[in-house]
Amino acid sequence: MAELSAFNFRPGSSILHGLDVRFKLLFLVLISVTSLKAYAVTLSVLTLVLVFALLHAQGSLKSILKALRYFFVLLAFIFLARALSTPGSAVIEFKGVSITREGVYDGAMICWRLVIVVLAGLAFVSTTRPSEIKAAVEWLLNPFPFIPSKRIATMISLVVRFIPVIFDQARETADAQRARGVENRKNPVYRLKKLGIPLMRRTFERADKLAVAMEARCYSENRTDPGLCARLRDWAALFVVICLCLFIIVW
Amino acid sequence: MNIIEIENLSHIFADGTLGLENINLTIREGTFVIIAGQNGSGKTTLLKHLNGLLLPTTGTIRLAGRPVSENLVKARQTVGMVFQDADSQIVGETVCDDVAFGPENLCLHRSEVKRRVFNSLKIVGMLDFKNQKPHLLSGGEKRRLAIAGILAMEPAVLVFDEPFSSLDYPGVKQVLKQIVSLHRSGHTVLVAAHDLEKVIAHADRLVIMKDGKVVKDGMPSQLLGELEPFGIREPCASRLGMEVPSWLN
Repeated sequence: MAELSAFNFRPGSSILHGLDVRFKLLFLVLISVTSLKAYAVTLSVLTLVLVFALLHAQGSLKSILKALRYFFVLLAFIFLARALSTPGSAVIEFKGVSITREGVYDGAMICWRLVIVVLAGLAFVSTTRPSEIKAAVEWLLNPFPFIPSKRIATMISLVVRFIPVIFDQARETADAQRARGVENRKNPVYRLKKLGIPLMRRTFERADKLAVAMEARCYSENRTDPGLCARLRDWAALFVVICLCLFIIVW
Repeated sequence: MNIIEIENLSHIFADGTLGLENINLTIREGTFVIIAGQNGSGKTTLLKHLNGLLLPTTGTIRLAGRPVSENLVKARQTVGMVFQDADSQIVGETVCDDVAFGPENLCLHRSEVKRRVFNSLKIVGMLDFKNQKPHLLSGGEKRRLAIAGILAMEPAVLVFDEPFSSLDYPGVKQVLKQIVSLHRSGHTVLVAAHDLEKVIAHADRLVIMKDGKVVKDGMPSQLLGELEPFGIREPCASRLGMEVPSWLN
């Protein structure tokens, strides 16, 4: 079975699980923006706080590292690009290409900040039910008069629901074609066409069936509002996060 | 009391194909009816008329005395339909969200939505799966989730379109057990099927369709010997002159 990504909601009863989704979204924005102003010491503080929060919510450092394994490859490229392209005093020089001290420092800082943003995102996604994210999107779009917030929220939830199903279908179609020797055809355009057309046809057919099934369950844009409720602990958490961000900026 | 009354129902599709022709049926509250027929005989087309997903070209359908076309939302609330492809029916990102979809569409209060979600998942024995992602469930579990999604709307009539298709033996038993227990709890149950072996032992009535028409209607025991001319396989036990046993035994 296909998984959309390792960034999935994990049920639990941690403090993060219990917070209002709108506050968690605000914390994600505040921490991400603040990390741009942070350097080694303050980044260490932020990393410790986030790793502690994730361990509290998810319970395993191994699962966090597993979730980020592909991201570290991307970070390695970013680090190399920065280290090689920033002018300064060379640490290593080989055939006219040099890695500079300034480049290594800049690359490390940028990668570290990106890690902070991704850890904050992981903490948000793994402790928030998809339906709550949908509710937050609906709530955020509500003040805009010409944006159909409920429709957009439903579309988001359907995309999240059906991407793994489409991946499954793509794999099934590809397997069926491999069983009939498609690998002997070397032309990638031919292979893409043979995979893409049946996949799209099945996806549209599924969309048709989905529309009928939704109609059978009385789908309407006038639905029960999402149950969002800010409590004392949400405001307390906001106070703590603002204090943390101020500390990082002032340091 | 008749919960479903169908009078002179005909349906012609947009391309001119005749889907149903002059169907007359009445179904009493609390009965377990099987609608059998080969592929293309009009079973699904008939079922889609019961909750207004399709509207008749001619004729009328009444649910508890009220025409379906008078209030489609009410009709869809009264007649819950479980589709053949459970994957296309499940819309929520988690089991819990999917079951809540119907009650939320009915604009029920959040606490009532939660109560219905809890009760429906309890009935189908899936409370432990409430945070699970639907695409990770087995075939039988997906079908049970689809049933829970319908039960949350508290319908009086449950309609199952080929509920056992592409299920393994344990999956068939899980779904069958659910259908039988829902019938025992007072629901009117309609099952569309082309393979009667799995379900016939529990039915009160058998309706056979062919080319969009109802060709036979009666007690299952009386019709078992007349199935094959209509493209429906006679159950093994019946061929051997025995009573058809339940798959739940």
